[in-house]
Amino acid sequence: MNDDDIERLLKAAGMRERAPADVEREVREHLRKEWRKIVAERRGARRRWSGLAIAASILVAALGLWLAALQPRAPAGPVATMAVALDDVRVKGGWLQGWQPAVAGQTLAAGESLETGANGRAAISLPGIASARLDHDTRIRLASAELLVIERGALYVDAGVELPGDSQLAVETPSGVVRHVGTQYEVRLDGSDVRLRVREGRVEWRSNSGTVQRGQAGEQLTIAADGAVQRQPASRYGDSWNWIASTTPALDIEGRPLSEFLSWAGRELGREVVFAAPGVAEEAAAIVVHGSIEGLTPAQALQAVLATTSVRGSLDDGRIVVANGRVNDGSD
Amino acid sequence: MKEEQLLIRRMLGGDERAFEAFFNAYFARIYRFALPRLNGDAQAAREVVQATLAKAMRRIADFRGDSALFTWLCQICRREAVDHIRARRRHLKHVVLIDDRPDLRSAIDALEAPEEYDLVKAYGREEVGRLVRVVLDRLPSNYGDALEWKYMEGSSVEEIGVRLGIGTTAAQSLLARARTAFREALEQVFGAEAADIAAGLGA
Repeated sequence: MNDDDIERLLKAAGMRERAPADVEREVREHLRKEWRKIVAERRGARRRWSGLAIAASILVAALGLWLAALQPRAPAGPVATMAVALDDVRVKGGWLQGWQPAVAGQTLAAGESLETGANGRAAISLPGIASARLDHDTRIRLASAELLVIERGALYVDAGVELPGDSQLAVETPSGVVRHVGTQYEVRLDGSDVRLRVREGRVEWRSNSGTVQRGQAGEQLTIAADGAVQRQPASRYGDSWNWIASTTPALDIEGRPLSEFLSWAGRELGREVVFAAPGVAEEAAAIVVHGSIEGLTPAQALQAVLATTSVRGSLDDGRIVVANGRVNDGSD
Repeated sequence: MKEEQLLIRRMLGGDERAFEAFFNAYFARIYRFALPRLNGDAQAAREVVQATLAKAMRRIADFRGDSALFTWLCQICRREAVDHIRARRRHLKHVVLIDDRPDLRSAIDALEAPEEYDLVKAYGREEVGRLVRVVLDRLPSNYGDALEWKYMEGSSVEEIGVRLGIGTTAAQSLLARARTAFREALEQVFGAEAADIAAGLGA
């Protein structure tokens, strides 16, 4: 490649865009202030730490020995993977370790805790489970690959469609343990109450005193600390499930049949996929989709993908209705 | 220690020149990264870029250097753009760019070759031209600048040296490295040489 080739190519591609000078100046000044604040905070923290360091070191050494003797030995090796980490998400190892920012793709070991802040949300992948998702202000501990302990907030478990029904995953709450049979459900701690909403399949609740309750799709169980259970219907879709959408690990749609994508979207939106006419299902199975839906919620992805195909979709009373035609009115 | 990590250390230590170097190296490139993902909305791009760089500075002590600093910034920016769109319910205008396709994105992020195919034929001149500019942005910032100054603005090597604050010999050497890096990046992303891509663009 000689100079002429580079010149021809760069001229054909055109100049890179420049931000307006006033925008650059204003952002620079804003960030300079932000940077000075960060530096000042770090210096302040260092000074405080150095003042405490000598006194604390003796105490820490003694405490460390004591805790090391008490701390259970966590089995080595990862039991889960961080699939999505939005904003403030932290992970903590043993008792002696502090909270560290969690990032998508990192592995999580048994014994580690995961926490989301006021703006944070997260999803983790576990073996045999599509995902478990954490709402804002939630803390869980990964006791093992089969047991998640929820300490506060809300956890949504999606066991995936291909689960044979014998998953051993359980969610432990302060007052009992939830087990499922091929399902999607949410466990939310609300003060001393546990709220259990079942979106698909069935769940079994076993209280610490041994009482068993079962819930099924479309049902919500509110379990009080004294064991009293209140049942009520719960929609499988709608606004109250929207928080899950922001933590949905993106499906890699490249090269997949449209029918597979529709099936995924149906589960994520809590809606049944129905085909409006004979032959549409075959058409959906024959269409191969391309591109990426990363960063889109399932509802946005449905709209974006269908817009590029020869079928259209609409949301109707808990269903995604797929029909012939290119006009898409599938908004949520 | 890598140059980027030295820069971070100096920034966190309160070195004003390090802050300026960080801003000069990344602001314009992140702005260009954000703008097309926000449908060309300049006001949104400004807000997203400011939020991205502010968040990055808050978290920069945790940057491990597993990827290039610019790649890390792009990841934050991508998320900020999505949040911005969601917050303002502009999701109908969300743009999925061809360099966000998984194959191209990984090729650009890691500069590893995707399967060979005719990009110009598949996506058109405008998108391929934009992708060439994306490749320039993925080079070290002074490489991209030096190539543009030399080949698009017609600056001499001496003038480039002055603009970069380095001598003529150093500028000559930097240009040679920039050409090599640009050629390698093009081949890895497009699977083709500059002459072929330029021909595809009708140049």
